[in-house]
Amino acid sequence: MAGAPIAKTVLTSARPAPPAHPAVRATLIVLAVSFLTIFILLPLINVFVQAFAKGWEGYLAVFWPPSPPEGATLTAVQTRKLAEAAVQTSRTWSAIGLTLQVAAIVVPLNIVFGLAAAWATTKFQFRGRALLLSLIDLPFSVSPVVAGLVFVLLLGRNGIFGDWATHLTWPDPFSLRWVGFENGFPLAFARDFTGVIFTPLAIVLASIFVTFPFVARSLTPLMESQGAEEELAALSLGASGWRTFWKITVPNVKWALLYGVILCTARAFGEFGAVSVVSGHVDVNDTMPLRIEKLWNEYNNQAAFTVASVLALLAVFTLIAKTAIEWKTARDLQQQHQGQAQ
Amino acid sequence: MTIEIRDISKSYGQNQILRNIDLKINSGELVALLGPSGSGKTTLLRVIAGIEQADAGSGPVLFDNVDVSDVDLGKRRIGFVFQHYALFKHLNVFENVAFGLRAKPRRERPNEAHIREKVQSLLDLIQLGNMAQRFPSQLSGGQRQRVALARALAVEPRVLLLDEPFGALDATVRRELRRWLRRLHDTIHVTTIFVTHDQEEALEVSDRVAVMNGGRIEQYGPPQEVYEKPASAFVFKFLGNYNLFQGRGQGAGGEALVRPHDIVIHRDADAAGEGAQPGVVAHIGFGGPVVKVELETSDKSRVDVEVTAPTFRDLDLKRGERVFFALRTQQEYAHDFVI
Amino acid sequence: MTFETEFAREPVAPAPRARSIFRRRTTRVIPGLPLTLGYTLFYLSALVLLPLAALALKAAQMSPAEFIRVISDPVVTASLRLTFFASTTAALINAVFGLIVAWVLVRYDFPFRRLFDAIIDFPFALPTAVAGLTFASLFLKDGWLGGLGPRVVAGVNALAGWLGAGPLLNPTALDWLTFPYTGQTAGIVIVLVFVGLPFVVRTVQPVLLEWDPEYETAARSLGASPLTVFRRVIFPEILPAWVSGVALSFARAVGEYGSVIFIAANIPGKSQIAPLQIVTRLDDFQYAQAAAIGVVLLAISLLVLLVINGLESFSRRHERAAV
Repeated sequence: MAGAPIAKTVLTSARPAPPAHPAVRATLIVLAVSFLTIFILLPLINVFVQAFAKGWEGYLAVFWPPSPPEGATLTAVQTRKLAEAAVQTSRTWSAIGLTLQVAAIVVPLNIVFGLAAAWATTKFQFRGRALLLSLIDLPFSVSPVVAGLVFVLLLGRNGIFGDWATHLTWPDPFSLRWVGFENGFPLAFARDFTGVIFTPLAIVLASIFVTFPFVARSLTPLMESQGAEEELAALSLGASGWRTFWKITVPNVKWALLYGVILCTARAFGEFGAVSVVSGHVDVNDTMPLRIEKLWNEYNNQAAFTVASVLALLAVFTLIAKTAIEWKTARDLQQQHQGQAQ
Repeated sequence: MTIEIRDISKSYGQNQILRNIDLKINSGELVALLGPSGSGKTTLLRVIAGIEQADAGSGPVLFDNVDVSDVDLGKRRIGFVFQHYALFKHLNVFENVAFGLRAKPRRERPNEAHIREKVQSLLDLIQLGNMAQRFPSQLSGGQRQRVALARALAVEPRVLLLDEPFGALDATVRRELRRWLRRLHDTIHVTTIFVTHDQEEALEVSDRVAVMNGGRIEQYGPPQEVYEKPASAFVFKFLGNYNLFQGRGQGAGGEALVRPHDIVIHRDADAAGEGAQPGVVAHIGFGGPVVKVELETSDKSRVDVEVTAPTFRDLDLKRGERVFFALRTQQEYAHDFVI
Repeated sequence: MTFETEFAREPVAPAPRARSIFRRRTTRVIPGLPLTLGYTLFYLSALVLLPLAALALKAAQMSPAEFIRVISDPVVTASLRLTFFASTTAALINAVFGLIVAWVLVRYDFPFRRLFDAIIDFPFALPTAVAGLTFASLFLKDGWLGGLGPRVVAGVNALAGWLGAGPLLNPTALDWLTFPYTGQTAGIVIVLVFVGLPFVVRTVQPVLLEWDPEYETAARSLGASPLTVFRRVIFPEILPAWVSGVALSFARAVGEYGSVIFIAANIPGKSQIAPLQIVTRLDDFQYAQAAAIGVVLLAISLLVLLVINGLESFSRRHERAAV
């Protein structure tokens, strides 16, 4: 499907084919391997080399500023540097925190949507189903910057719902605090936001837009190929719709679901363009990718790479999980084939 | 439980699958829906189950004279066995069979000990008592079939519906399983409908056969009646091998159908009697208890004859010999334009 | 595939047909369509369709003349031209190398083949900002690739001098590998190759995997050379997938923002890509102008989507005709 970064191929051993000329074979292998090395391996290794340019100490200093030696008297310059370092690390931590918070909202919402969309489009035939499927795919083919732009045009100051949106006051769900029983309800929000664009809410909206299709997309092909017979069997045995869904459908697609969730999470963590447009370049709205950009623009390369290395590690983990899930599903499929043949 | 359906039609878009079907099934009967693919037999089964809805304007589906057309699949208390079994891949055999019991509303749900006892007795019934912990992928086709049946029986259905129950199995397993199904039905006596395209299977196992063609039931009756008195040329042709004699019987437009075993071969014309015709032995096929003899008539058409092995030995036929053949019985039909 | 034919199903829950509501309610056997479809449509409309409609509306508020004036602003045309040129170049590079990579991964055994196969998806998984960051640093003067140019030039010329010839390479011959030159076009193309690489490989690979080598053996036994076999037998088979892959990588490149702005010098009229133009306009509160450029980008990606869908249905028809 267009734009879907979900390609499932499991390489078996190389296909038996008429042998190629050894020179042709060698040339092509060298070309492919050097291309992949320069374009993928080298940049990846570079991330970690640069992140550790100042060793472990420098790496950790990006997150935890070095404390001054005990009892030492500090010069004014040293004091200022320490204070600056503290500000920098707190910004980095705030970026990490915001990224996690955004993902914590976006991913569950997209899981619910993905399950609902996959159920509606694979267990039923209805007019407009093909159109619905391509609309679900649409965000894959929209430039991230446009994804941010549309929300600015919708909810920004001059936007269509601008008047309403700029005066909207909403509580920060992550500021929920225990305030005790003396004030009536024991929980309260410690912080409110006003407006949408240039607040974390806009970041959530833009992130939902760009991660929208992942879960639905990884579920639909599998659910389509599985058909509805197991569900019908469960229903004929008297199971309710919910029970059928939770006990039959979800276990049958759990690996595809996990795969979609991993892709969705990776993208939610790493989205740059859409988030950048709606963040207003304010420090408190920085997610990790935006923080990387700021550090880079401040010529703080090593710190930029340190934050980047966390995201790169996450990407490596994503790839490992993807490969593992693909191998697992391929093996399951093979097992079923063998079972069928008996 | 009796099942009665009246005037059921079903279409997918322009494609009409069922045309005004009426059918009545007595309590405890084992009925086969027999027909070629595309005849609508599976759709009819699914309408009875409640998996498909009949078209608007159709009559009711009655279980024990109660209209269940509006009753959901899960509330009809049917046991449905799918052609490819639809076993729950991620559950073991025990949990597959227990699924329906565990899915019951809290008030009706038996306790864990009862569930275990019931499932184990069902597994013993299907002779898979020692495979409770296996997963569907670890079973053979015939074993899966039996698990699917046990799963359907666990909820004590009022009617058992089987879609091509032996369709995906190889020939030996098929024969074994269908005898087993008959024995099982004789023990539990639940009204059962099964779909098949195999006439031998339908005739051997069922109490009554409904032969379907083009969305209609062409004939409905006990196997012997259906086989010996086919109501239409289609039924005659579908139920076994036949010889076709054009233009005989009902005027020039009709056709006469004769089973190969209803033709007698004689060495001399006198013994063959009146109406016997000459023919030349063109081919002899040995098939164990039955020998297939192919005769060529004077107008170069071929006639298939089946004789029992002892008769064949007595006749001592050789290829190229001239013989006479007579029809023991024949069925005559007006031309059937449906086919 | 036997697996699919074996499981060929009759439609499970067919489309609702007109029926008298009084006689019988229109039940569907599998529950949950109203809930799931309703939720899907609501979520899709609120979070994707409505915002996209805002873009269309904003652009529609401009008169055609105004729209054309915005689009033909020299800075805007320069950015669109750069985006188009860099994306096309990157897509073409991926067309060649993506095909080679897919071919090598499917057909040849070599050390770490599975590792190389797994890392193909890396550009999908790596945040674009990280990609831009690491490529930008590679091409700095003290980066691994940026520092390579002068050294190679010096080495080659030293070798030539030792052999008695004059300097072979102009001292600036490999400067395109070093920032700020990479900030113009070369660097942009290079990151766009990175982000678009998986599309070509992952669309061609499945076709090559399904390809039955017996056809090839047959063609070879009839005396065709390997090159002829590739050109006449294999290539036509993978052509639709290959074109789709290239189109996808082009579409991705047109919209790419995060990685490019790290490596590009981002000088208006010279090295600013179209998405950056949108951001610049937004920063200046020129919403209408931003919307106009956004509509152009969206139109390009929808056009590519249309081409790909056309190709897919063409190759499906083609397949069916072949069966």
